[in-house]
Amino acid sequence: MTKRIESLLARTFDKEQAKFRRDVDWKPLLARFVAEKTDDETRARMGLEAMLAAEMPAFMDGERLHFLRTVRQIPDLHSEDEMAARRASGTAFGEKGVVFNLTADFAPTIRDGLDARLVEMTARRDRCRAENDVEGISFLENAILSVKAVLGLVDRYHAQTSQRSLLSAIHTGAKTFPEALQVLRVLHYAMWCEGEYHCGLGRLDQYLLPYYEADRAAGRLTDAEALEWLEEFFIACNRDSDLYIGVQQGDNGQSVMLGGVTREGKPAFNALSRLCLEACGELKLVDPKINLRVDKSTPLEIYEAGTELTAKGLGFPQYANDDVVIPALVRWGYDLEDARDYSVAACWEFLIPGCGLDINNIDAVSFAGCLDAALRAVPDAASYAVVERAFFDEIQRRADALVQKYRHVEILPGPFVSVLSAGCIDRARDICRGAKYNNFGVHGTGIAVAVDSLASVRELVFEKRLVTLSALVRLLDTDFAGRPDVLAAAKAAPKMGNADPRADEIATRLLAFWGHAFDGRRNDRGGIFRPGTGSAMYYIWHAREIPASADGRLKGQPLSANYAPSLDVPVKGPVSVVRSFTEPDLVPVCNGGPLTIEIHDSAFARPDGVTKVAQLVKFFVARGGHQMQINTINRETLLDAQAHPERHRHLIVRVWGWSGYFVELDREYQDQIIRRVELAAS
Amino acid sequence: MTGRVFEIREFTLQDGPGIRTTVFFKGCPLRCAWCHNPEGQSFAPETLTLRDGTARRCGVDWTADALASELLTNADILVQSGGGVTFSGGEPLAQADFLLELIDALRARPEATGVTVALETSGHCPPETYRRVVSRLDFVYQDLKLHDAAAFARWCGGDLELVRTNVAWLKTSGVRHVFRVPCIPGVNDTAADRAAFRAWAGTSAIEFLPYNPTAGAKYPLLGRAFPLHESESMV
Repeated sequence: MTKRIESLLARTFDKEQAKFRRDVDWKPLLARFVAEKTDDETRARMGLEAMLAAEMPAFMDGERLHFLRTVRQIPDLHSEDEMAARRASGTAFGEKGVVFNLTADFAPTIRDGLDARLVEMTARRDRCRAENDVEGISFLENAILSVKAVLGLVDRYHAQTSQRSLLSAIHTGAKTFPEALQVLRVLHYAMWCEGEYHCGLGRLDQYLLPYYEADRAAGRLTDAEALEWLEEFFIACNRDSDLYIGVQQGDNGQSVMLGGVTREGKPAFNALSRLCLEACGELKLVDPKINLRVDKSTPLEIYEAGTELTAKGLGFPQYANDDVVIPALVRWGYDLEDARDYSVAACWEFLIPGCGLDINNIDAVSFAGCLDAALRAVPDAASYAVVERAFFDEIQRRADALVQKYRHVEILPGPFVSVLSAGCIDRARDICRGAKYNNFGVHGTGIAVAVDSLASVRELVFEKRLVTLSALVRLLDTDFAGRPDVLAAAKAAPKMGNADPRADEIATRLLAFWGHAFDGRRNDRGGIFRPGTGSAMYYIWHAREIPASADGRLKGQPLSANYAPSLDVPVKGPVSVVRSFTEPDLVPVCNGGPLTIEIHDSAFARPDGVTKVAQLVKFFVARGGHQMQINTINRETLLDAQAHPERHRHLIVRVWGWSGYFVELDREYQDQIIRRVELAAS
Repeated sequence: MTGRVFEIREFTLQDGPGIRTTVFFKGCPLRCAWCHNPEGQSFAPETLTLRDGTARRCGVDWTADALASELLTNADILVQSGGGVTFSGGEPLAQADFLLELIDALRARPEATGVTVALETSGHCPPETYRRVVSRLDFVYQDLKLHDAAAFARWCGGDLELVRTNVAWLKTSGVRHVFRVPCIPGVNDTAADRAAFRAWAGTSAIEFLPYNPTAGAKYPLLGRAFPLHESESMV
């Protein structure tokens, strides 16, 4: 790391950039929107214009890539009353209603610059005028003004710096690697200013490769210089991130996807992918969050390059297996070339950058909740099969209710992000009207708790006849009061994660059912519903909705995040965990949601620890796992960080689908991580 | 015949090449004051009382066939990573006849091809036993705990002559091996100690393992005091 980067890194981590920030009261603007009943598209454009006009050019000493946020708040475009009224009249929104969890199609604008987009949009608007396409005219005029607002701020930056060459590229397109990074920085920055959130960066190592290669070939750039530019860009991803929207600090969706295959199916891991890993390893920051695509032919050496980051405790890379994900996307109707181009939305939901407006986390089904309801529905069940059937019926009932609830979802417009999305200018329509892919994803939470509970019910009620089902249900409401023998037996029953077929076969049936729960269902945008194995923050929320569970989990104890063994469950080790969690066919449940495991930091005490952990990931991939993330932790360190946060400001943990600073998390999230099973503590 | 085991641990990374599964045999002839696996000392089954009050039974009897099957459920990743199975303890050589049966059972399985078999031992056993078992192994981690007979008797309760004889044989046996010294502050960690251990190891590889500050953690679960702490006050 160069001295300049070292200094920028330290000052960014200490939030020096916050000194440029100020508060702006956007209420008058909102009041005007409400009073004038301004349409959504105009509000989005005017909001961006107002935001960027309020922004002030600001520079940190020693920086070469510019742009940072100086206004803390983004304008609210709709009042709470307005949104409530729309919801009351039957309109559903995904989260806040705006475009989110999306990776834009940055490449064409990096290449051509925004001036070329203006020319294109002006011509298209004139065609709309000729065709009297009123909606098209309105979209394009708002989009043109949005781009002009961005360029306006660029020009104000220009006026204050001598380094004109990089900023010029925003007008005219990038020719060099540094210019490409500067354009990307501005486009990404502007999306957040428009109100989009969880804005992914996608396949950086693919769309920036031409610039890197051209510079290298021309002798303009050494690898050391490329690394320095990348590091500055990655540091920039941490400048404004505390202003981004998220459930917890760090949950901001700045994901990067590396490696995999090209749209033609050729291996895509390249010199730039390697530099990205190296940059993250040197910086040790939570952003951007690195994902690495692999398949069964990926050499061990690439897994090792990824595992070097795991060993540093960054909580990433998160691995995605092309052998499972690409067929899964094709099965759902994605074109093969698009499927090969997949990245992730905020955390782990697979999406196609630039042409996917999938809402991949529209809601979640609580499997633990479904089982609780099912047990109460069939207290006199004569056999285990009846219980399992009732459970699946409840899942289906809730899945159908979600389809009903989200059949018609409205998305609020984003004229600027539309400019960065494939086909919007051509169609003369905002991206909120629909993109090439408009599918919805649904998480399934508490998989392990549900499976373990079913295994326990089968053993305790129908095999050992230790307790009747109705008595067991009553015990769930009292935390097993008076029956420590039942609690002990429940804890000793088969558990998912031990390569025990008595649990794993239930998981296989559950995921096979879940994988088809939405067959034939469509939303109003023509999209399908994709079931997955992720939890997002629902693992905290859903745990609050249920009493104790039949696996011996007591009321108030949290669920595991994503696809992972239950908390506090003794498992044989990570090999058995991988074996259990790759037993089910994961293709039909491939919305996203990784096997999440915790490895004790002593695993990396010897230099060959990296190779061994890399081999474990390779084993997961060879067995048909879809996605995996590894947290390197040490319980003692986490407990010490709770007691002395000031000593652990740099301590990073993987939360559910993102890496964050442990000391910045709410206690509930901290405690859940401390309870996760620590593997390989030898 | 059965063998008594107190733990089977997957994905052990410190006990040899590749990904390994380590079997911890119950029972040991020594009583090293710093032992971090006190539940491995007694040959009798015991109960650990965990901090949350739950009891964990410690000491399961296995037939060689059943244990071989259990260990080979992970044969695929053991082979893929160039790893295998490691015998540890306790003292595995204290159950040498069972160990030989287990090695035979493992070697007889086709899926065990490529699975290496390693041993971690104090070397405190009759030389004839040592040679019979060690000559069947791929790899040995041989502890060098103390180089002085009186100190060995005091801190470990053993006869250093047995270890010396076995170490001398091991060095010329042709079996791959590494000597390991558990460095215990105030016991064997001076520069002079290190020089003596190096001289003893000769041309063989030697590793000095740093003291594990949590070594005493499991004694309270057995209702026992950590002997090293008691001794320290005497030093």
